[in-house]
Amino acid sequence: MTQASTRSRSAIAAHPVISAVIAILVAVSILLPLITPIYARTGPRLGDFPFFYWYLLIVMPVISLLLWVAAQLQKRITSEDVQ
Amino acid sequence: VSNVNGVTFTIVVVLFLVVTGVGFAAARWRRGGTMMHLDEWGLGGRGFGTFVTWFLLGGDLYTAYTFIAVPALVFGSGSIGFYAVAYTIMVFPIVFIFLPRLWSVSRVHGYITPADFIRGRYGSRGLALAAAFTGILALMPYIALQLVGIQAVLTVMGVGASSSNSFVKDLPLFIAFLVLAVFTYVSGLRAPALIAFVKDTLIYLFVLVAVFYIPTRLGGWSHIFDTAQAHFASVSPATKKPLGTFVPTSASLGSTQFDFASLALGSAVALFLYPHSITGTLAAKRRSVVKRNMIYLPMYSLLLALIALFGYMAVADPVTAANVKRTGNAQLAVPYLFQHMFPSWFTGIAFAGIIIGALVPAAIMSIAAANLFTRNVYTEFIQPDASPARQTRISQWVSLVVKVGALLFAVELPHTFSINLQLLGGIWILQLAPMLIGGLFTRWFHRWALLAGWAAGMIFGTIAAYNVASPTTSHWAGSSDIEFGHTIYIGISAVILNLVIAVALTFVLKAVRAPAGTDETLPHQYTADHADVPAPAPAGVGADPAS
Repeated sequence: MTQASTRSRSAIAAHPVISAVIAILVAVSILLPLITPIYARTGPRLGDFPFFYWYLLIVMPVISLLLWVAAQLQKRITSEDVQ
Repeated sequence: VSNVNGVTFTIVVVLFLVVTGVGFAAARWRRGGTMMHLDEWGLGGRGFGTFVTWFLLGGDLYTAYTFIAVPALVFGSGSIGFYAVAYTIMVFPIVFIFLPRLWSVSRVHGYITPADFIRGRYGSRGLALAAAFTGILALMPYIALQLVGIQAVLTVMGVGASSSNSFVKDLPLFIAFLVLAVFTYVSGLRAPALIAFVKDTLIYLFVLVAVFYIPTRLGGWSHIFDTAQAHFASVSPATKKPLGTFVPTSASLGSTQFDFASLALGSAVALFLYPHSITGTLAAKRRSVVKRNMIYLPMYSLLLALIALFGYMAVADPVTAANVKRTGNAQLAVPYLFQHMFPSWFTGIAFAGIIIGALVPAAIMSIAAANLFTRNVYTEFIQPDASPARQTRISQWVSLVVKVGALLFAVELPHTFSINLQLLGGIWILQLAPMLIGGLFTRWFHRWALLAGWAAGMIFGTIAAYNVASPTTSHWAGSSDIEFGHTIYIGISAVILNLVIAVALTFVLKAVRAPAGTDETLPHQYTADHADVPAPAPAGVGADPAS
C-alpha cells in the first residue's frame, strides 16, 4: 500500500459526515429529474410555461449548484489529508 | 434545383469553407513533436484545459440529435421527447460519480480507450475485444444520425432533393462527408476541438435569437403551449389514439412516465460509455478539469431544453406543420421552421450551424471508433509490434471505414424518428456498464461472468429492438417495448438482464475457483491526479487486494 492509497481511503473514514453530504447531494441531483411523477403535470404555470417545462429548466442550474458544492466539499476533505 | 434560395445557400457554403479551413489549420494548433502518434492524432496531445474540454465535450454531446432528432420527436409525439432534456440533466451527476476515476486510472496506465481499461482491469483480451466491438458497433448508428440530420437540412434547402437520380440527390451529403473525412484524417482530434468553437458560436447565436424571436411571431409562449396541448390531445383517425402527450401520462392512459424515466436514465448512463465521450474526457489535462466540466456542462442542457421546444413551435406554426405533413418527415420540422421564420441570410447561418454541429461529433466519433480498433483489435490480435506511426495510419483509415458503415445504417434503417438510431446505439453501449462502471469500483465481478452477461444483453437487446413494429415499418421501429406490463427502454431491460447474469455467474465461477485474471491497476490509481503521474505500474501485481 502506498501513501496515496491510504490518503483516499482515509478521506471517507476521516470525514464521514462530509462524505455522506456529498453522497446525498449527488443522489438528489439524479433523483430530481428521474422521478417523473414529481413534475409530470401542467400546473401551476410559471409565466406561460406549464409546470413540466419550467421544472426541467429550473432544475438544471439547481443541479449545477449542488454538484459545485459537492466538488468543493470533496476538494476540502482530500486536500486536508495531503498536509 | 430551382427552389434553392441563393442567399441561404451562399452563406452555408461560405461558413462551411471557413470551417474546412479551420479544420486543416488545426493540424498545426498546439502540436507536439510528431503527429504520427495516437496520443497526438487521437487525443490532441492530452493537454486540453477546462475551456477546450468544455467545447470538446459539448461538441460531442450536442449534435444532430439535439437539433433535428429531439425536436422531431417532440413535434411528432409531444412530451416524451423531453426525456432528452431529463437525460442531459441527469447525466452530469451520474458521471460525476465514475468519470474522474476513469480519467485517473487511464492517465496512470496510458489507457486511451475504454477497452484498454477493461483489458488492464480484468486481464482479459476477450472482454476487451467485446468492449471494442460494442463501441464501434454502437457508434455507427450514432454517426448515421448525424448524416440524417445533415440530409434534413439539405433537403429543406432544396439541394439535390428535386432530382429523381439517387446519386445526385445525395451528392451534397457525399461532398460534406468527404470533406469531414479528409480533415479528420489529417488533423485528428484537434480539428473537431477547434471547429467546436466556431460551431458553438453559431449555435448559441441562432438558438438564442430563435427562442426570443419565433414566439413573438407565433402569438407568444402561451399560444405555442396551448396549441401543442390541443394538438396532442386530438385523436388520430388512423390509430384511434391521441396523437401524443403534453405531459407524460400515468398508468391509466398507458403510462409514458415509466418509459420517459427509463429512456432518460438509459441515455444518461450510456453517454459516457461511448468511446467518443471517453476520448473527449481523456484528452483533458487534469482530474479537476473533468470535475469542473461536470459542473459547467449542464449549461448545455439549458440550450437543449430550448431547442426541444422548437418542436412545439413547429406544431404551432401552420405553414411549418403543413410542410412537414406534406413531406411526411418529422426530421424536417426545425429546418422548415427556421426557413419560414427567418430571413434567408439568417436561415443560412442556422443551417450552417446545424450542419457543422453534425460534422464535429461525427468526426470525434469516428476517431474514437478508429482508436478502439487500432488499440484493441489491430495491435492486440493482428500486429502487436506495430510502430506508433503505423498505428496512427491504421486509425486514420479505420476512421474512414467507420463512416461508410454509418452511411449504411443511415440508408438501411427507417427514419420515422431518427432519434431511434441514437437509442439503438444506446442499447448496445449500455451493455458495457457492468464491466466498465462496475470495474471502476470493484474487482468482484468475474471476467467470464461479465462476458456472458454482455453477450446475453447484446442478443436480447438486438432482438427486442428488431421486433419493435409500427404501423409503417415492421422492424427497428422504436427502442422501447413492454416488459412486465410497463413500457420501458430496451437498453435498460437488456442491461438488467446483463447484470443479473453477471452477478449469478460470478458466484458460480468463484465457487469453482475459475482463474480471475490479472489486475494491473491499484486502488490509489483511481484517484490519482496529473501530479502523481508518471507512476509506472509495478509489473505482475495480482488481484486488487481491496476487493
